[in-house]
Amino acid sequence: MKATLRFIKDLNKNKAFLWMVLPGALWFLFFSYLPILGTVIAFKQYRFHKDGFLASIINSQWVGWKNFEFLFSTEDAYIITRNTILYNFIFIVSGLVCSVLMAIILSEIVNRKLAKWYQTGMFLPHFLSWIVVSYFAFSFLSADKGALNQLLGSFGVEPIAWYSETAYWPYILVLMNLWKTIGYTSVVYLAAIIGIDKSYYEAAMIDGANKWQQIRNITIPMIKPLMIILTLLAIGRIFYSDFGLFYQVPRNSGSLFSVTNVIDTYVYRGLKVSGEIGMSTAAGLYQSFIGFILVLTSNALVRKINKDQALF
Amino acid sequence: MSKRNLLLTLICIVLSFSFLSACGGGGSSSNTTEPPATTTEPPKDTKEAEAKSAEKTDEKPVELIWYMIGTPQKDTDKVFEELSKYTKEKINATVKMKLLDWGEYDQKMPVIAASGEPFDIAFTCSWAFNYVTNARKGAFLEIGKLLDEKGAGIKEVLHPAFLEGAKVDGKLYAIPTNKELPAQDVWRFNQKFVEKYNFDISSVKSLESLEPMLKTIKEKEKGIVPLGGDKNFKPLLPFDYVDESIPIALYADGRDTKLMNILETPETMQALETMHKYYKAGYVSKDLSTINSNDYSKTGKWFTDRANTAPLADNQWSASYGYKIVSTPANDPLVYNWSVTGSMNAISATSQNPEKAMEFLNLLNTDPYVRNMVGYGIENVHYKKIGDNRIELLPALTEGYTVPGFALGNVMITYLQKDDPENKWDEYKKFNESAKNAPLLGFNFDPTPVMNEMAALKNVKEEFYPPLMTGTVDPVVNLPKAIKKFKDAGIDKVRDEMQRQFDEWRAKQ
Repeated sequence: MKATLRFIKDLNKNKAFLWMVLPGALWFLFFSYLPILGTVIAFKQYRFHKDGFLASIINSQWVGWKNFEFLFSTEDAYIITRNTILYNFIFIVSGLVCSVLMAIILSEIVNRKLAKWYQTGMFLPHFLSWIVVSYFAFSFLSADKGALNQLLGSFGVEPIAWYSETAYWPYILVLMNLWKTIGYTSVVYLAAIIGIDKSYYEAAMIDGANKWQQIRNITIPMIKPLMIILTLLAIGRIFYSDFGLFYQVPRNSGSLFSVTNVIDTYVYRGLKVSGEIGMSTAAGLYQSFIGFILVLTSNALVRKINKDQALF
Repeated sequence: MSKRNLLLTLICIVLSFSFLSACGGGGSSSNTTEPPATTTEPPKDTKEAEAKSAEKTDEKPVELIWYMIGTPQKDTDKVFEELSKYTKEKINATVKMKLLDWGEYDQKMPVIAASGEPFDIAFTCSWAFNYVTNARKGAFLEIGKLLDEKGAGIKEVLHPAFLEGAKVDGKLYAIPTNKELPAQDVWRFNQKFVEKYNFDISSVKSLESLEPMLKTIKEKEKGIVPLGGDKNFKPLLPFDYVDESIPIALYADGRDTKLMNILETPETMQALETMHKYYKAGYVSKDLSTINSNDYSKTGKWFTDRANTAPLADNQWSASYGYKIVSTPANDPLVYNWSVTGSMNAISATSQNPEKAMEFLNLLNTDPYVRNMVGYGIENVHYKKIGDNRIELLPALTEGYTVPGFALGNVMITYLQKDDPENKWDEYKKFNESAKNAPLLGFNFDPTPVMNEMAALKNVKEEFYPPLMTGTVDPVVNLPKAIKKFKDAGIDKVRDEMQRQFDEWRAKQ
């Protein structure tokens, strides 16, 4: 009785916060927790049933691990896993370094109006769909009429068939990804930097610390927890890849597969005609399971080094 | 310190949450305009019709939902309200059409079917919402018996080869559209240049025979694409494929019954070498292997390309492009599985009223009033009659009701348009009679035993096909590489399985 009363009192006391959490909690419930039950499809050969979705799941034949086999059946398994992990690893590292750098630079600009201007400019690509971006890129990289080949031509350099030369694409993809994501992540860090108590800097200045020393000894340590958390979250998605970046931007060019084929594009290409839901669910389950393990491991590592900064 | 830590954690969870929702939102945002829900009660101005139908039967009219491919149109609901007045009287059912845009139909329909959402009729074919695959998965109702009971008219109008070719494992799951039956490839030419250089196009048939013309155009016309196409471009090869996405086939002339990997045939090597020569000479765009769709037909800056033809197609092309197109055959017309199943309408397994759906399909294929309203809209709004069986399209049609005519049932009972010759449908019938059957007609491969290999092979195909087939890479070096990769991905196992099923099927014929 007493416990219930206390619970209601607690509810009442925190109701403002609880209301704020509610939409997000519902979102997670419907779009993240409820679909977990659907992972059972990964072990079934999904066939339609006239009584709807649930009946289809129940009546489909159980096939065990068979749906997972196609992911590992060819030598492509190695290429797609390597590409996915390496690209994401580079994205995480380059994203972290560049966005922290940008955030610091932005926070140090004295003219606030200009700073806002730069910030908005950097943020803009975040809102563009990869499909739109792929056409921008094509206008630069087209072998026939691309701006880049025209430019090279004016220097007397032979035109390059960009969409069939694998050598350039790791750089192009990393650059494109940075260009698109840096605005967003640097704002997150910028928010953290602005939140740092100014008296730290004043004290440092009185002690004679220069800008560089201030950044190294105040700014970076203060935003370190945020850096760790965001990186941990990114590691959880290391087995997922940005489909638009790897499929649309290289224009699905076959010659580039050895450097652009990742797990998501492989699954899409393999199943887009047959539409085997069981097999694509299997691929998704595999990706999230590995991601889950990676998050647990890296969190445990962080925990070992500094208990306060671990995610959980 | 720990408080600040907590605060930061909170901020970043909120932020990452908004990140996630931004990502999730993008994919699912649909641009299909959901038409306003109509009540099952009939509109006021049809009281008379209602009274009539009430006399016939006391049943409540059922509403049929029909999914169709095509850009959503603003007058769809208006047209189908008008049509429903008629169908309510005839078969006591109202019809509602939901259009899904060209690009999204193939992606949304499998989801709609998989989720078990109830609908009655859906467009299906060999190139979108794949007919055979989805029939096997149980998305469609088996309609053989229903056709006998409620669709007698359909059996009368359809060429028997249509129903025969549409069978999957001996069972019928959809009603093919009565239109051109065989498929034939033609070389299309931009008449402007044919005239200018006095080319004799009747001498053209093979890819090689185009060369002198391409050479002239390349040398004399700057900025004109001599040979057009997109990344799906393939030189014409004389094969009939078991599955369009896997390079296993028979010779189309049916000279033997042993399935083979077409990449290992001398014909393929020769065609690819020609393409590579053309690519190097600049007869095709340097970007051919990555062009998703072509826009040269709009600009008119092209000389020739390859297309699938139908009777009087030259007129249609000329009318839609706004300049004259002429064509000459590149091969003989043959009836393929994919040409028979090029446009069909199936009844959903989740339909609550399959009999009514079949009755409606029967009307659609036999009743000119229904068929023409579905295809051209309302008389004197979207079109006006200028003859007994001839109409002129009004601007309202372009603005508010442009639907894909080939997908909406029997085209041979539709009105002729202003410039169509009187014998248009006779030409169609003649074309259909003239065709021979391709060797694999009626055989449908069941990929279930080799699903893993199929997924791997499709990846290999997307890797090697566009660059090889467009001539972008040298086949002497790259074709052996492609063959090896196909072998590693298990093409021989798939071939053996296909051969086994094919032999089994043949024994039953």
